[in-house]
Amino acid sequence: MTSTIVWVHGDCLAPDGPALRAYPDAPAVFVWDDALLQRRRLSLKRIVFIYECLLELPVTIVRGNVAAEVTAFAAAHGARRVATSDSVSPGFAAIRRRLAAALTVEVLAAAPFVPPDVPLDLRRFSRYWQRAGPLALQPTPPDAP
Amino acid sequence: MSTPMRRSFADRDDLVAYLREQFPAAAARDAAVSPIRGGQRAARERLARLNPVRYAATRNALDGAVTGLSPYLRHGVIGLADVRDAALAAVRRAADAGKLVNELGWRDYWQRVYRQLGRGIWRDREPLKTGWPASAYAVALPDDVAQGTTGLACMDAFSQQLRDTGYLHNHARLWLAAYLVHWRRVRWQAGARWFLEHLLDGDPASNNLSWQWVASSFSSKPYWFDRENLERLSGGRFCRSCARANECPFAGDRARLAQRLFPQLPPEVPR
Repeated sequence: MTSTIVWVHGDCLAPDGPALRAYPDAPAVFVWDDALLQRRRLSLKRIVFIYECLLELPVTIVRGNVAAEVTAFAAAHGARRVATSDSVSPGFAAIRRRLAAALTVEVLAAAPFVPPDVPLDLRRFSRYWQRAGPLALQPTPPDAP
Repeated sequence: MSTPMRRSFADRDDLVAYLREQFPAAAARDAAVSPIRGGQRAARERLARLNPVRYAATRNALDGAVTGLSPYLRHGVIGLADVRDAALAAVRRAADAGKLVNELGWRDYWQRVYRQLGRGIWRDREPLKTGWPASAYAVALPDDVAQGTTGLACMDAFSQQLRDTGYLHNHARLWLAAYLVHWRRVRWQAGARWFLEHLLDGDPASNNLSWQWVASSFSSKPYWFDRENLERLSGGRFCRSCARANECPFAGDRARLAQRLFPQLPPEVPR
């Protein structure tokens, strides 16, 4: 019995990603989203590349509906919590909402490129970079996540 | 829970054979496998070779010292902060890593915009600045571009490389995108979908918003190029063997090219 599982997704396939690092002993799962594969017509070479990344991770690989499979994986391990790494994609947000119906979801962020909470003007890259550029040229502080 | 997929393979051929069998629809469309390997070990090898000074000096050329890190960044195999830190560690003065860090900034920027827009990245952010109405653009990707049979050596090579390797140099992407949108007058979404099928680094944010930048729905003017530009940055390798070199649609005076592509716009001020 474990209390937490890790959901690994295609926006964070690092062996030292934030969720895997926070829960190194937790069972982890990756789900091939069959509907997404079909909709995006993802080519075989993209699938091979992602699979090679997965083979370096301590993760169980399944396929199907992502939220349903993660929920079933948690149940199989007697877990009520799922930890995952953050993503900006709307698909991630939708799955996260579905998971939250059955599980407590913890979303962990990777080390930021620009310190969080700095207000940035996103209308054009040049405006964004005026503020972000000097901050981005600083190395990550040693105490960063 | 469904049955777990295999994790143990004799070698890469064994893995590819298994994935062909597991994903038959994808394999039937296009069976190509990229020489670029997935995984953090491969990413770290590239990271160890990072040379920010050479990158800044040569990155625009097709054979320039680009990092090849984009597929790993896209899938979070390594992070922008990792690459930034490695770049800073590889130079004496932080400013020498400035160009590389600036290019990393584009990915951070597109990700932030994606968080705001969500699926809105599939729609024009702003009206086009080409003088053409959105209805003037074809909806579908032309077959000759998709198959690499336009007769233009450069564009056919880019199309082939995209399908065979899932990777294109930044300028090859820009030229192929500009050709499709401005010369063939095809909606950027058709090209964006095509790129996402194939590019190992295909990310809806970087991909779609860069297509919008080329198309001019997320920039103040359309991006386009001419033969001189392409010939110089490709070392002339395509033009030499091009069957259509004498009727090159990219050749000629820039002002006249602009007039042909965007006849409704005021004449370009010579630079």
